[in-house]
Amino acid sequence: MRIVVTHAQVPFAHGGAEVLAERLTEELNARGHQAALVTVPFKWYPRERVLESAFVWRMLDLEEVEGRKVDLLIATKFPSYAVRHPNKRVWLVHQFRQAYELDRTELGEFGESVLDRATRRKIHELDRRTLGEAQKLFAISRNVADRLENALGLEAEVVLPPPQELDYRCDGYEDFVLSVGRLDRAKRVDLLLEAAAAEPSLKVVVAGDGPDRERLEKVAQSHKLNGRVEFAGRVDARALADLYARAGAVYYAPVDEDFGMVPYEAFLSEKPVVTTTDAGGPLDVVADRRTGLVTEPRAAALGAAFRHLREHPEDGRAWGRAGNEVAKRVTWDAAIDRLLS
Amino acid sequence: MKVAYYSPFPPERTGIADYSALLLPALRARLEVVAPKRGKHARAAVSVYHVGNNPEFHGWIVDALRRDPGVVVLHDFVLHHLVAGLTLARKDVNGYLRAMEREAGLPGRLLALGVVDGCVPPLWSTRPEDFPLAGEVLDLATGLIVHSRHVADSARAAGFAGPIWHIPMPVWPAPAVEPGAIDGDPVIGSVGFLNANKRIPQLLEAFAVLRKRHPRARLVLAGPEAPGLELDRRIAALGLEGAVERHGYVEEDRFWSLIAACDACVSLRWPTMGETSAGIIRVLSLAKPLVVSDVDAFSELPDGVLKVKPDEREVESLAAALLFLADPERRKAMTGYAVHEHELGHVADLYVAALEEGAGGARVRDVLLENVAQAAGEVGIEDSGRLAAAAREVGLGG
Repeated sequence: MRIVVTHAQVPFAHGGAEVLAERLTEELNARGHQAALVTVPFKWYPRERVLESAFVWRMLDLEEVEGRKVDLLIATKFPSYAVRHPNKRVWLVHQFRQAYELDRTELGEFGESVLDRATRRKIHELDRRTLGEAQKLFAISRNVADRLENALGLEAEVVLPPPQELDYRCDGYEDFVLSVGRLDRAKRVDLLLEAAAAEPSLKVVVAGDGPDRERLEKVAQSHKLNGRVEFAGRVDARALADLYARAGAVYYAPVDEDFGMVPYEAFLSEKPVVTTTDAGGPLDVVADRRTGLVTEPRAAALGAAFRHLREHPEDGRAWGRAGNEVAKRVTWDAAIDRLLS
Repeated sequence: MKVAYYSPFPPERTGIADYSALLLPALRARLEVVAPKRGKHARAAVSVYHVGNNPEFHGWIVDALRRDPGVVVLHDFVLHHLVAGLTLARKDVNGYLRAMEREAGLPGRLLALGVVDGCVPPLWSTRPEDFPLAGEVLDLATGLIVHSRHVADSARAAGFAGPIWHIPMPVWPAPAVEPGAIDGDPVIGSVGFLNANKRIPQLLEAFAVLRKRHPRARLVLAGPEAPGLELDRRIAALGLEGAVERHGYVEEDRFWSLIAACDACVSLRWPTMGETSAGIIRVLSLAKPLVVSDVDAFSELPDGVLKVKPDEREVESLAAALLFLADPERRKAMTGYAVHEHELGHVADLYVAALEEGAGGARVRDVLLENVAQAAGEVGIEDSGRLAAAAREVGLGG
């Protein structure tokens, strides 16, 4: 089949969503399909740019290319699913969350002006129509599927995306907690730093870069965590695999995350994951005292969780191995089988 | 965002007043809302006008709409009575002639002249559904809120091109009421104005059939009787004296108490003005088994509601429905229909969505299309028809 995968790209940003779209394209090609990834830059500010970005997708003609039909189109995140195609399927990474559950929170994008409120409603309408016209709807996590159903009444089948390919292995359980991901407020790395402040035995390695890094470094300084927190910056695949292989546990507690590859990557390295009750997608696989620890989103509770893992290393190892069994079942074969069904 | 909310309110005796009394607090929990009194105006980001067919309750609201177009909650599609009140009752004969000519061309104007001259019976009483006269209100509306697909379809058929939001009627939070003491088995109720449109004659005939099989059956009629209905004569002719309990207009508490006392309720209507009955929604809120006419908006009620077509077999069908509901087990099975979509908080959320879009949606669309057209113009493309079509497809068009 000739398949187009569509993805909205924020130039210079490369996170889980980008990895997902790239891998999907590669895996489709590896299975004998002719797949191409189509990306269009996305900008969400000032306000009117959101709808313009969506509109650009609507104007694209991806029904055929060079006179040959495109059999299937798989759209991923907002607003790439605004594109037209008679066989459009959506593997929803996320909608424009600022128009939904993040509205009127500190992570929101829209103010109280008439135009802001109306723009948000127009995004809902656009989603209702362009997701509603898809032949099939899939979501990357239960959390994303539930949000879609709650907001728009649309049902999506959950198809879990496999994590990126790394040299996953377990070299041991060294005395540090690893945090992996883009450094922005939603990833809530500051909560980990506060936990480190509350739990003097805790050592942390933060892998990743992003707009919140400077603030986080100041938070670490203000808590006098120097020496116990290392900001490793953006690391390459080999260094990341090494960190996973050596870590004692992995922290991953964003706010109401769509999905999150990190728990799967941690599990493939046989590491337990510590998350919070409001983390969203990670709760699909991080089960309290089975594959990790799930705590209240408070520094003291997190500190206690890490202390438990330090004092009971056998628990962490058992939970990491149990997580490994879960993560091994999430494969590209299984995902593509559902997406093309 | 500030909203000006034009509606009748209690003590005015209309279902729309009750509706607004219920809805307004829920809206105020979500938006800043001012409710101008009769004849007053308020500046706001968006104004919402409740328009029904009764000129006494809605004439002043149309006057306000004329001054400041906004979102119209169209409770009835047939507005002939309202328009007659806004024109003929104000000695504006030409206004009525224009409205009828707009609706039906020259024949309409001639018919209207006949009405004015007294040689044609008033159309608002005899044939309002043939001449709904909704044109002016639709022209002034920047968007429509409707309670049924039926009204939405009628508005589109009449050429309304603006946004339409379909928002179900809210159910009243079921009050903790003591059922009235009514002796009967089963007790069937019909609440609201008693007139021929409510199919009261047909209901009496069907009830007589039920009564033959269930001699303890009792019919409760609560609401003022329309002139000419001859209720006493009809009851006597069917031998139903003592089986029918009549109440005139009842106050709120008594209203709920009577519904609560009924085993099942009947709320028929034909012909309709395209409206949704607030009385029906109240019955739904108490989850009572219900029989309605299978027409217009009433056909859209949940599957658990029995529907009877107002055709030549109406009495027979209605009698069958009443006999069906005489069985307590069947009644029990019919009380579980879902009313979530009528839940007050949900309805208020839908209002907020509609009003937020109604307030700024057109400007958002214009900005988008201006920017796109400018970009197209910069590269020498002047024809923006295709762009506009694409915008409409994704809900960004006009």
